[in-house]
Amino acid sequence: MKGRENPAEDALILLRSRICNPNFVFTPFSDSPDSNYSKLKFIISSSVTEACNNSILLLGPRGSGKTAVLELVIRDLLAEHADMISVIRLNGILHSDDNCAVKEIARQLCVEHQLLFSKMASFDDNSQFMIAMLRECGLAHKTIIFVLDEFDFFTQGKQRLLYSLLDAMQSVMSQAVVIGVSCRLDADQLLEKRVRSRFSHRKVLFLPPSKEDLQRLLEHILSLPVDTSPPNDYAVEFNMKLHQILADERFKEIINTLLNSDSTVKHLLRFLFYAVCHMDLESGFLSLDNFRTAMSSIQRQPKMEYLQDCSILELYILVCMKRLEVKEQNSYNFNSVMKAEYKGIHDAYQTSDYYARNVCLRAFEHLVQRELICFMDNRGNNQSIEFRAVKLLISSHELYQGLKSYRSCPAILRKLVDQ
Amino acid sequence: MDHFFMLEMCSIWKEVDGTYWFRGRWYIIPEETAAGRQSHNLRRELYRTNDFADIEMESVIRLCYVMSPKEFTKANNEGDDIFLCEYEYDIHWHSFKRLAEIDNGEEGNEEADNDVDWDYGKDSGSDTEEDMEYEEENVNNLPSGPSPAHAVAANSWKGRIFGLNKIGTKKIPGHVRCHKQTELERAKATLLLATLPKSLPCRTKEMEEITAFIKGAICNDQCLGRCLYIHGVPGTGKTMSVLSVMRNLRSEVDAGSIKPYCFVDINGLKLASPENIYRVIYEALSGHRVGWKKALHLLNERFADESKIAKEEIRPCILLIDELDLLVTRNQSVLYNILDWPTKPHSKLIVIGIANTMDLPEKLLPRISSRMGIQRLCFGPYNYQQLQEIISSRLKGIDAFERQAIEFASRKVAAISGDARRALEICRRAAELADYHIKKLASPPDSSSEGKALVGMAEVEAAIQEMFQAPQIQVMKSSSKLSKIFLVAMVHELYQTGMAETTFEKLSVTVSCLCTSNGEKFPGWDTLLRVGCKLGECRIILCEAGAKHRLQKLQLNFPSDDVAFALKDDKELPWLAKYL
Repeated sequence: MKGRENPAEDALILLRSRICNPNFVFTPFSDSPDSNYSKLKFIISSSVTEACNNSILLLGPRGSGKTAVLELVIRDLLAEHADMISVIRLNGILHSDDNCAVKEIARQLCVEHQLLFSKMASFDDNSQFMIAMLRECGLAHKTIIFVLDEFDFFTQGKQRLLYSLLDAMQSVMSQAVVIGVSCRLDADQLLEKRVRSRFSHRKVLFLPPSKEDLQRLLEHILSLPVDTSPPNDYAVEFNMKLHQILADERFKEIINTLLNSDSTVKHLLRFLFYAVCHMDLESGFLSLDNFRTAMSSIQRQPKMEYLQDCSILELYILVCMKRLEVKEQNSYNFNSVMKAEYKGIHDAYQTSDYYARNVCLRAFEHLVQRELICFMDNRGNNQSIEFRAVKLLISSHELYQGLKSYRSCPAILRKLVDQ
Repeated sequence: MDHFFMLEMCSIWKEVDGTYWFRGRWYIIPEETAAGRQSHNLRRELYRTNDFADIEMESVIRLCYVMSPKEFTKANNEGDDIFLCEYEYDIHWHSFKRLAEIDNGEEGNEEADNDVDWDYGKDSGSDTEEDMEYEEENVNNLPSGPSPAHAVAANSWKGRIFGLNKIGTKKIPGHVRCHKQTELERAKATLLLATLPKSLPCRTKEMEEITAFIKGAICNDQCLGRCLYIHGVPGTGKTMSVLSVMRNLRSEVDAGSIKPYCFVDINGLKLASPENIYRVIYEALSGHRVGWKKALHLLNERFADESKIAKEEIRPCILLIDELDLLVTRNQSVLYNILDWPTKPHSKLIVIGIANTMDLPEKLLPRISSRMGIQRLCFGPYNYQQLQEIISSRLKGIDAFERQAIEFASRKVAAISGDARRALEICRRAAELADYHIKKLASPPDSSSEGKALVGMAEVEAAIQEMFQAPQIQVMKSSSKLSKIFLVAMVHELYQTGMAETTFEKLSVTVSCLCTSNGEKFPGWDTLLRVGCKLGECRIILCEAGAKHRLQKLQLNFPSDDVAFALKDDKELPWLAKYL
């Protein structure tokens, strides 16, 4: 940690880069034999050492660390067996078309083994090339790892790529591992029966970390290194203050609230990033307030904030639409809102907020852009806005709450919503 | 071993001046490679190279034998000149590759197939002059070698034949040759699907039928074309049986008891489009690459055209079409052509089609089903005794599994699908788990069989759980607090209204009620929407896009009983049980 001028700045940079580095974040999970890291590494390395083929699915909600742990395993294996592993990476969103996928596999194989690649080769050529490469690499004791991200997209269509790949692994003496990564828990049900039969059904499930793991993770990410050669007093003090915060009941409560809505590691990392960015550089240490600020950032409710930003006219329009819905009118448009409600309100209450039609239309369009209301049909682009059917996208409770906390809400609106 | 040179004779000819010459392929000793002699090299080990030379027959000293590792261990009486060769060495790229013929004993390559190679060696004691002469000659006579001077893309058709010489390992990894496999590792290796078993148990009757069918077709002088339709669920050994029959027949051809034939193996699911099959068939029969329309025309000439007189020299052609149902097009013309050709006189075409459905011929046009549906062979799902026999025969001689474990796995698989692949994978995974326990956890799986690591029923049960149990119960149990409340609210809605589908608006009201009644803080509508979308991503529930906000429709993707089972004993939120 250089820079005696401002160790706090260095610390900030270090912490931010750590949080953004998945390899760093998931390293503490790699030592226990029960962890997904160990299980995954064992399966893949047995393909290298015992020349067997395997197909694995990594399943778990988004942000639970599937790709991060996989990359860690691959990185460690490449360090151990440098020349004997090549990695081919495909993504289901980019390469879901079979032709495109096989071409990409051929291209990456050529790049990995320094062969010449031709763009003009056909689907048959490329798949035969892939099978030939599998055989040749098997004879040369080289393992090929196929990483298929967004695996569920590869199961669309006839699943030709998956069939060719899994069938080649089954009939040719090759050393290949196919790793599918998907957030859909039913990814293996999407396989067609022939492909399913050839799939070796290894699954690694990624679940949210336990409380102990969480604690370890927080310490691992946020503690500054203290074993530098001139002993770093700043780091020692930083860590001490950090431990105090971590042990504080109020902090535990914040973390609990955070994990109540989303218990994945990515969510936690986002929270930590916010907190670290709010660190006060003057004092140079993290405080509980940083975490509280981060928490309130994460807990923002965008629709409520949009309501607070609305003009009075826009609120009027929303209330009118609400009243129409309460009156069981399921289909209404701008015209009916204006005619039935808006005019009616002003006739009844003689308010000062009566605006011309084109002004109201502008406010209406604004509400559509803000996604507080939406059009019901997709094809009505020929019709003008005034005639298209609309609906509210916020519930009555949200509207009620929005009006209650609005800074200068006309009383008339509140009364109308109460009715 | 002093300096001497060894060659494998590939071809012999007589020059115009009457001397005999031959083309030979050099073998080298480990010291001559770029990697040098490794610690795992045996004393009598050689590497085959892709370096050729033309040499006069008179420089040959004597015969010696080069064998594969298995034969080498068995050899005893052939004298002093026996050597071992397991790898080939590429002199341009300095890399090694295992010889392909070792694994596929019958898979011949372009050179001579004989096991005993006629090698001629030279002793260092003989004329050094002649050595020099021949070295010079070799330099002049060296062919351009397998890699052509012009660059050819590796993934194109031509490039594949030459371009993959580069693939090889710079050093043969030590663990491959030195590591003695444990029983468990041997078990895992034999249970691999890619390993060909020595024999195919439980399918002898079917294989006899196929053999009879083929022999009946090709042994006739007339060779009437025929079709055979094989069907069965995946994993019942259909393709494997046919290929095994073909292997047996090929050895009969080699022995001379049957006339030679062509065999073309096509997979419908690997073709880019059904019409491509014509191109693939023609390429396999003639070696030429043409477009599919031309290929169709040429194949019509070969199979259907009656005017050609040179039909007697054409060999019978056996066509195996896997995944036949992929060839069904709208007007079914591809299938019609393929199944029509055998019916023409002198076509000498035999078609074997494999598919999964029993009634595929019935679903096709009548003119096709009449051709295809005559002879059918059904491969039924295996019962548990057959599965047990399949697994045990693979594991013969390897003592790694408890007998009950194999029986347990067989019964489980037989009850569901009867798929042999599934049974083999379960056993292999069980062996992997046992191996993992030993290597990582440093404790044998079964403490009763101390020291000896046998795979028992516990490992098989764990393997089945891991591979085939749906993960949603576990995921639901470990999901966030709000997710659990969300799911319980959906179940509650289902019970209240009787309708599976609900909207986000109604659901948020229910969640709000649940929270207020049980002292939980309501999280806010946007947070709740995110929770719902996250559950939808995993497909625990089915939901529309989150952009629809309160109008978003939601539905449980699993029976409410699953949710109840997962969440009723939750420790974090014991009050959930009230609503389930």
